[in-house]
Amino acid sequence: MVLMTEYQFNIDSGYLEGLVRGFKNGILTRADYLNLVQCETLEDLKLHLQSTDYGNFLANEPGSLAVATIDDKLREKLVIEFQHMRHMSYEPLSTFLDFITYSYMIDNIILLITGTLHQRPISELIPKCHPLGSFEQMEAIHVASTPAELYNAVLVDTPLAPFFVDCISEKDLDEMNIEIIRNTLYKAFLEAFYKFCEDLGGATADTMCKILAFEADRRAFIITINSFGTELTKDDRAKLYPRCGLLYPDGLAMLARADDYEQVKSVAGYYSEYSVLFEGAGNNPGEKTLEDKFFEHEVELNMLAFMQQFHYGIFYSYLRLKEQECRNIVWIAECVAQKHKAKIDNYIPIM
Amino acid sequence: MGSLFRSEEMLLCQFFLQSEAAYNCVSELGELGSVQFRDINRDMNSFQRKFVNEVRRCAEMERKLRFLETEMHKDGIEVLDSGENPDTPQPKDMIDMEATFDRLETELLEVNANAEALNQNFLELTELKQILLKTQGFFNEHDGNLEPGEALKSEVKKMSLIPPDLSAQEDQQGQLGFLAGVISRDRLPPFERMLWRACRGNVFIRTNEIETPLKDPITGDEVHKCVLLIFYQGEQLKTLVRKICEGFRANLYPCPETANERQDMAMGVMARIEDLKTVLSQTQDHRHRVLVAASKNLHNWWIKVRKIKAIYHTLNLFNLDVTNKCLIAEGWIPAPEMESVQLALRRGTERSGTSVPPIVNRMSTRENPPTYNRTNKFTRAFQDLVDAYGVAAYREVNPAPYTIITFPFLYATMFGDFGHGTIMTLFALWMVLNEKKLQAKKKLNEIFLTFFHGRYLLLCMGLFAIHNGHMYNDCFGKPLNIYGSSFRVNYK
Repeated sequence: MVLMTEYQFNIDSGYLEGLVRGFKNGILTRADYLNLVQCETLEDLKLHLQSTDYGNFLANEPGSLAVATIDDKLREKLVIEFQHMRHMSYEPLSTFLDFITYSYMIDNIILLITGTLHQRPISELIPKCHPLGSFEQMEAIHVASTPAELYNAVLVDTPLAPFFVDCISEKDLDEMNIEIIRNTLYKAFLEAFYKFCEDLGGATADTMCKILAFEADRRAFIITINSFGTELTKDDRAKLYPRCGLLYPDGLAMLARADDYEQVKSVAGYYSEYSVLFEGAGNNPGEKTLEDKFFEHEVELNMLAFMQQFHYGIFYSYLRLKEQECRNIVWIAECVAQKHKAKIDNYIPIM
Repeated sequence: MGSLFRSEEMLLCQFFLQSEAAYNCVSELGELGSVQFRDINRDMNSFQRKFVNEVRRCAEMERKLRFLETEMHKDGIEVLDSGENPDTPQPKDMIDMEATFDRLETELLEVNANAEALNQNFLELTELKQILLKTQGFFNEHDGNLEPGEALKSEVKKMSLIPPDLSAQEDQQGQLGFLAGVISRDRLPPFERMLWRACRGNVFIRTNEIETPLKDPITGDEVHKCVLLIFYQGEQLKTLVRKICEGFRANLYPCPETANERQDMAMGVMARIEDLKTVLSQTQDHRHRVLVAASKNLHNWWIKVRKIKAIYHTLNLFNLDVTNKCLIAEGWIPAPEMESVQLALRRGTERSGTSVPPIVNRMSTRENPPTYNRTNKFTRAFQDLVDAYGVAAYREVNPAPYTIITFPFLYATMFGDFGHGTIMTLFALWMVLNEKKLQAKKKLNEIFLTFFHGRYLLLCMGLFAIHNGHMYNDCFGKPLNIYGSSFRVNYK
């Protein structure tokens, strides 16, 4: 607790906090989104983005613009910012930022294994991986055919080794198993991250634990809803729920027994924050989907993180907000490119 | 001199320009540099304005010029700043320029692609040569053990009752297969570790470093690499080893088993390397020639494209009249320059060949006009210094002319050293005398640029410092006694 006092924060992380707050001020506002929505072509989009913090990031792209190029360039800018912050950070901020990259590593591993399963050459899969989650042994992942081999040959030297403890088995890697591995890895990662933030204490623990608890509960809800109608048994499902959220232990037990959407909604009814999200969510046109409501709540929590000073939560929140912004811009770009503007307003406004 | 003590009188004018003449009129006004246009279309989005397409074309031309400039930078060709000011090209000349840039860009891209393919080939051959050289040592010991063994085995074969094809299988079982390859040095430790783990320790690897760094064809960086020799037994391990090599981007090459074959291969590879080197040097020459030819005009092209872009940006600020016949613009001009502005507009309409004269209409307004201080290269530094504290209001007293004396004097009061003042004056004098040469250089250090912009300021400060040092009798920190003491004892 003493180490995290406000007096000593600026010695190691003052520059980075100032940098992140500066970046955060450049996040697109509602006015920007209103302008973007009025674009007729992708070139107009590029022209408008030139006047924002993005500047001339698309200036050197030859030929006509594609949505995939815009997506790549947006991500590249974010990656450069994050890597600069990681390079300039001291402990414990470095470990904190490393923890953030582990989630991307998990996604990359699953992507590569799935791709190998579908006989794609490794050179085609590597460009699709997220740059923040790359590690040395990533490209040699296709030598493994069972989780045990995957652990012994590849993952044991990576920082993900401790998360893999629950997943080692001798069964072959197939579609179902891969999803289970993904969720088990993510559960172990989330719980480890939660514990790490809790140990840091102070304002970091305040903001991060709230955000991570919501993330855990959101995953629990999504896993439950997506598992209706699949072969996943209730016991297996219960093993995938992260335990660091508000739902632990009673809510998770109830969710494990749920059979349909209505039961899930009733479970959410016991928790005031989540009952609000489930109300009014549906798949009818004009209503927001549950995923959108979750995104909105996440954006709210992340914006709140900036209200406090001298903590590490702003780095995590900034990354998440920028990702949401990228998703928004790509959504609008897709609608503009396909000239189908009916749902163009389905972005999540941030500022 | 009257205008030095306060800012100039400004007039708000409305310009009515005919659509065809607008381009040339704005170009003439741009050369004059006396008008500050206001944005009439403030509520319009940037992509809804009239000349958006032309601005986009200019941006595309700038992109091509930037590409050319980076290519020249890679080859180390310097772009000369000739210091001339080319005229603004007409809108129809824009198409010619676009065609030229396009042609240069495609040609350069083609040459680059060819060079990349050739470099890739060269890299493979170089790596193969290194493999053949380095593995010589490994195989000598390997073969040394095997040679007597092989001789024994062949004798055994002749004398054996087992049919020849079966005995060949037995030979293979005891025989170690090997793979030869090249991997970059920084990937070597994780590669070895993964090989050990994945094959459960059943493969044997020997490495040797390549001293000279090899050039990567795509990025052009020089990478240090190592030669690998991996020995394994059995087909399964072979596929596993291949997969891992592919994962760590180690390039595998076929390496023959016997020493004689290796010698022959080495000769062949050296000959091919020599051929490739000549082809590569020719490609490089061609590319160099193309870039040098383009570099002579690059600076002019940059200025022309920038001028066109600036004109279209300015035209975007104008309002198109309802009858579509003329453009309406609003701008501030200094009152003494009204004549020259009208002359410039007339020149513009003559150049475009239309007969309708442009109209400049004075508007009366209650708005606060902008402050315009006319400066030359000497007074600009002092004016900037004063503006850093705050720009004076319209027609307010301008402190800058007084600053020319007071600022250096106060500085010298604190500095007050004859010797150090001389050094400072000489430095500033050198910058002032070599003004033109230093201004032409593009890549000046940022800190030096700060001093360069204030060279006249430094000169004044230095001169005053010499004077004050003289008054303080201080030279390089040591006291000077030139005039003797002025102390007089007055009591008897």
